[in-house]
Amino acid sequence: MIRAEWTKLRTVPSTAWLLVGAVAATVAASAIYADSINVSGCLSPAECPADTTKLSLGGVQFGQAVVAVLALLAVTNEYGTRMIRTTLLANPRRITVLLAKASVVTAAALIAGALGVVGSLLAGRFILDGSGYPLPSLADGPTLRAAAGSVLYLGLIALLSLGTGTIIRDTAGAVTAMMLLLYVAPFALALVSDPQLRERLHRFGPTTAGQAIQATTDLGQLPIAPWAGLGVLAGYTAAALLIGAVLFTVRDA
Amino acid sequence: MSGFWWLLRAEWTKLRSVRRWTLGLLAAVPLTLALSLLTGGGSGTDLNDHPEELGPIGPAGVPVTDNRNFVHQPMAGDGRITARVLTLTGEEGFSHEWAKTGIMLRESTEPGSRYAAMMVTPGHGVRLQADYTTDLAGSDSTGPRWLRLTRTGDTVTGYESADGVSWNRVGAVDLGDLPPTVEVGLFAASPGRLAVETSVGSSSTGSIPVRIIGTLDNVRVDSTQPQPTAQWQEDDTSKGFVQGPVGENGAANFTEADGVFTVAGSGDIGPYVPDDDVTQLSLIGVNLGLVAMVAIGVLFITSEYRRGMIRTTFAASPRRGRVLVAKATVLGVATFVVGLVASLLAFFVTQPILRSNGFGPPAYPVPSLADGPVLRAVVGAALFLTLVAVLSLGVGAILRRSGGAITAVVAAFIPLLILVGGLPLTAAQWVMRTTPAAGLSVLQTIDVDHDATAEPWSMAPPLAGLGVLAAYTAAALAVAVWLVRRRDA
Repeated sequence: MIRAEWTKLRTVPSTAWLLVGAVAATVAASAIYADSINVSGCLSPAECPADTTKLSLGGVQFGQAVVAVLALLAVTNEYGTRMIRTTLLANPRRITVLLAKASVVTAAALIAGALGVVGSLLAGRFILDGSGYPLPSLADGPTLRAAAGSVLYLGLIALLSLGTGTIIRDTAGAVTAMMLLLYVAPFALALVSDPQLRERLHRFGPTTAGQAIQATTDLGQLPIAPWAGLGVLAGYTAAALLIGAVLFTVRDA
Repeated sequence: MSGFWWLLRAEWTKLRSVRRWTLGLLAAVPLTLALSLLTGGGSGTDLNDHPEELGPIGPAGVPVTDNRNFVHQPMAGDGRITARVLTLTGEEGFSHEWAKTGIMLRESTEPGSRYAAMMVTPGHGVRLQADYTTDLAGSDSTGPRWLRLTRTGDTVTGYESADGVSWNRVGAVDLGDLPPTVEVGLFAASPGRLAVETSVGSSSTGSIPVRIIGTLDNVRVDSTQPQPTAQWQEDDTSKGFVQGPVGENGAANFTEADGVFTVAGSGDIGPYVPDDDVTQLSLIGVNLGLVAMVAIGVLFITSEYRRGMIRTTFAASPRRGRVLVAKATVLGVATFVVGLVASLLAFFVTQPILRSNGFGPPAYPVPSLADGPVLRAVVGAALFLTLVAVLSLGVGAILRRSGGAITAVVAAFIPLLILVGGLPLTAAQWVMRTTPAAGLSVLQTIDVDHDATAEPWSMAPPLAGLGVLAAYTAAALAVAVWLVRRRDA
């Protein structure tokens, strides 16, 4: 079953492009973030503390869009081409089909995520070299947690997107929903100027909470602790997958 | 032409009869409103509780800016003050284009009191300004220049001259009920140097106080009545506490030596400009509304490809380019109407909320659709949504895949804005002036220095920004027309 899903994913030309795109978007945006560090106004980097790890991993915010599209297409494309009927005819156990899809998509997202995250850290090290800031290194505990957590974050986003795709079944609708969730929601939160309300909302937003995993400094200032934040995202993912699974089993294909 | 009319009707029927599209299109209204409400409800200010930060109340009953250094003496009855501006020099090599020095006649030294002034500015030549809002242009001279103010009853007339012999009248202003004795003298003021600091993903704007140092000579006060005293007094309301000797006598911001007066000051005299643009704030919801417009614009073409319907459409009307133009026209009209409803609703519903959160008069004048910039922003928000929808149609026709097209267009707005927040200022400005997101500039109603703001949607002039988006839309449509004619359906 997993092999069948893997073959389907592998043979659609857009998959390869999207995977390459996810890695490229992550690394490129990370490099831009790392390059934006400006020490001209400071006497020494110690005076302008910066979370270089988080900065170097900033591109994950952009890679996630590509990962999300990849994941939801695995479902919505089948509905678009009516292929889903063939799939379900060959294997009527729908939960198994969904689990197989989820495994394959998550594996692809984790691989792309790992490449993107490692690439981002390397780009960050290269750009920040000589700036006086500590270079992000995987030998450092918090950095390792941030890097591994970012890969997991992308895996969870892929599953969340797969669940959303299963619920909505239509590419345009699912892409729009994911864009709203990934970008418009945090963007709207940033416009709330009441700091207390904003912090409370940040704690419950899937992306704003999930991205807490990337922080390595000033952990006390975060709206939510790193692993707890990733847990919030996992909760959203579980909910989306559960609703998707229920709808997938009860609805006609 | 009747053929095109028929095409328009056919496309209109398609748009209106697919229920999902109608719902998606209408969704732009609640989405826009929702984000505007969230922003409006989550924003607040207590500026109105701190009138001392607001500035004095001017003659029109609204707050004004009255920060300057005024070196004055009383003048009884009708009379005139004359002086020659020799130089005006900014400190540290910076001269604001609206820095000013010259002569002034005031009702009193009370901040916010009525005045008329003749001045020389580095960027706008000689001006006659009065009562914080009147601004009349004189010659282009940036000095040396002779200036004169003549009081006759309540009327003050401004003159300028190159030689102090032949005088040109610049204009006259009526200052209402002037007291018998007014204060006349020399003044200097300079708006601050705006600076944007970007560091590690966040930007902030600040105004660094700057002094302008004016030198004047041939200062004369002539009156029809005997003068009370001829003692010069300094009334310095400069902003930013810029103090320090400008001359050898060690006086704060004013010295006189051998008939040459040196007056230094910072701040500005003029209308009070709020820091926050409440109209822009209430229309910010288009950032969310655009997502619905993108989905509809893309689907309006890609779903025809997916269902193979496009073949029927092209079979019925083999001139494919015209089909696409008809689609764009129908979509444009429909999205403009929906966009206008969305923008008007967001404006009228969010304004009272903003007012109750502190964004009310006197610090924040109530915006009215009768104001040109406000009307431009509200209609511009609708046009912005229209252009985004038609751009999406073009991108949809080029890519023929809804997932890719929606991602591509949406990514050009909000994710881009998030990225811009982490860019150095010059890069952010470049992005916000050359990508479709420049269209968001149309929401501005307050003149800001586009080079010195950290707000991404204020980095381009309003109409120029919308023009950039329009150019992208036109280009996408042109490429789409070219491609559909070339490609198999």
